Amino acid sequence: MRPEICAAAALLLVACKTDDKGPTSVADVSQKARVLPKTGKVWGRDLALGLALAEHELCRELDTLDCLSEAHRITLGGVEPARLGIDEPLEITPVSAPIAVDRVALSACSLRYERDLAGPAVVFGPVLEPSESGPTPSGRFAPDPSATARAEVSTQLVERLLARAPNADELAALESLYTDLEAISDDPSRDWCVGACMVVATSTEALFY
Amino acid sequence: MTRRPTVTRRQFVQGLATAMGGTAGSLLLTDSALAQQASDPRFLIVIGASGGGSIVDGPLAVRASECATPDVLNTFPDSVVTGWEGSPFRAADFSGNSIGAIPAGFTVEPSALLGSLRDDLMVATWTRSSVNHAIGQRRSITGNEAWRGRTLQELVAWQYGMDAPIPNVHLLAGTGYSEVGTDASIPPYARGQLVANPAIWPLSLDGRKGSAHPIAPEVLAAIRKNRASAFEPATHFEQVFRHAPRLVEWHDLRGTPQERIEGYDLVQKLMFLSHSDDFPLEDYGLGSSPAARQVQEVFSKLDIDPLEASAALAFLLLKYRVSVSVTLGPSFDFVFDDSIPYGEGDSGLPRNSVRNPPLAFDVSHQGHRSGQAVMWSRLYGVVDGLRRLLQTEDMGDGTSMWDHTLIYIASDFGREKHRPSGANDWGTGHHLNNGVAVFSPLVPGDTLRGGIDPDTLLTYGFDPQTGDPEPGRTMAEAEVFSGLLGALGIDTSGSGLPDVSAMRRS
Repeated sequence: MRPEICAAAALLLVACKTDDKGPTSVADVSQKARVLPKTGKVWGRDLALGLALAEHELCRELDTLDCLSEAHRITLGGVEPARLGIDEPLEITPVSAPIAVDRVALSACSLRYERDLAGPAVVFGPVLEPSESGPTPSGRFAPDPSATARAEVSTQLVERLLARAPNADELAALESLYTDLEAISDDPSRDWCVGACMVVATSTEALFY
Repeated sequence: MTRRPTVTRRQFVQGLATAMGGTAGSLLLTDSALAQQASDPRFLIVIGASGGGSIVDGPLAVRASECATPDVLNTFPDSVVTGWEGSPFRAADFSGNSIGAIPAGFTVEPSALLGSLRDDLMVATWTRSSVNHAIGQRRSITGNEAWRGRTLQELVAWQYGMDAPIPNVHLLAGTGYSEVGTDASIPPYARGQLVANPAIWPLSLDGRKGSAHPIAPEVLAAIRKNRASAFEPATHFEQVFRHAPRLVEWHDLRGTPQERIEGYDLVQKLMFLSHSDDFPLEDYGLGSSPAARQVQEVFSKLDIDPLEASAALAFLLLKYRVSVSVTLGPSFDFVFDDSIPYGEGDSGLPRNSVRNPPLAFDVSHQGHRSGQAVMWSRLYGVVDGLRRLLQTEDMGDGTSMWDHTLIYIASDFGREKHRPSGANDWGTGHHLNNGVAVFSPLVPGDTLRGGIDPDTLLTYGFDPQTGDPEPGRTMAEAEVFSGLLGALGIDTSGSGLPDVSAMRRS
């Protein structure tokens, strides 16, 4: 092999990060680095679509106020010109906005978990305990679902909420959440389902564009 | 992947001081300011008199007998005006059968409150630079951009709010009183945080409490940790845009500010409403603030009146040291109390059932005397309630929180001084000439800075240092702005603002 070809091959290898699951490319940092936040309404629509829920089901505070259109509307970048005189999203991100996002996602992901438990499962099916009578859900989660099953759920979450396939590092990250929860949770299967969903649904990629 | 290091508030201020090399000359940029705020804080409450609160309808009411042409100027019959020996202030107690075009009778007795409030009241006259609502509102908190466009609230939050979770809170949306300043060097923590609905807002201050789907706190912490340190760094989105200002800000908010807010348990402490069928707190594991009953007793209409709800939350924000600056005020919405029964002689709505006329003080376009009377009484009531509450809070050194608080009644502008000859109620336009009312032990009490010409109802100014009235002089917005900062103990060195020490209590 000619020396210059060897050098080029070596450079290519250096430019790629490798792990046990194979190479994961590292993206270049944007020089402009310009992103904008989705309004709560837009993010909520994405969330509802991804979790196969109606927008009005996602979250209600005290079961009286819709989180996105009422309770946290202004906090999450909405406007209300008629009564409040807020005709543009707030210039400054409210300090409570990340908390409000977590509340909405906690509610939506928990609801999806409960619906999947009752069946038919939409997102968390792979970690459900198989039913002996066929495809009807058992109403229980497998007591010790396999890592493979969890990877299937993680893949679904990323595909449904971020509209793309996950990379190996992302799957590993979500799997590591299960390990973390095993030590602290009374119900790690449930908390992992809700938690992995929250992680993806409230990631910066889901909240900004 | 490494995250951009989080900069603490202290580091921000110290770094800014270093970067500026002390050229600004302001103690705001040094550690001494931190020590000052910790040991001797001041609290600012801005109450926006939206629509234009006219000072000659408030504490500077003029008796007809004092004026050469009382029938064509906004004077009051001598019989309705209460004054106090040695005091420059007055209160006009009277009744009416409508508020402009609104067929609602009213009775106001501001003398009952002003009689005690005046001990901590200073009025300083000024002449404004705009009669546009939004511009006038903004200039009332920036002194017409007198100090690099910084607002009063930002400066107080900067100097005293270093350790407060949310130092600068605005409960009055959609007005110039809640606008952000234009000085980019203001530290982010001092910027105003807008609250659209005081009653619901506490629910956005905890990620899990009160949720219909309970989750253990340590589980939520693990989820957040995984998101920040494992999942997000693995996404190409984060790798590509990690330096984007919006993402940096978002990550910062998720850090220390979020920990402090949830650590303070604000979802409980700031919950001033009680459990009810319409607000079922207990069904979701929540309860009222330990101080809820206290604020409900003082602001008994907080469940129907947004101004009282804002005042209740303002007190709790200060009491629990969440904030050092709170901005509130009446909105332009019509607020009606349907619990008041019809009485004999009520031809329209029950007497005193209209708590807030539409457009607040700006209802004066249709009914000046009636609208101003109802609105001034409304503000006196809120000030009185806040003072009573703050007086119960011990600072630990023999003083109360009230001793450290300044309530500034900011107004868009004044109102026209003339009226149709002999009219009992009439419409007015906007006017540049006015004055500000400041309630605080930090200002000279029962004191008028400047004066009023009873033959024109125009106010005139004062010597900024001695406070001596100076007929023929008018006070600029920057001067009153500087005087308010001085009363609050804000270090203005290097700002170029005039010394208006006459507005401080010696």
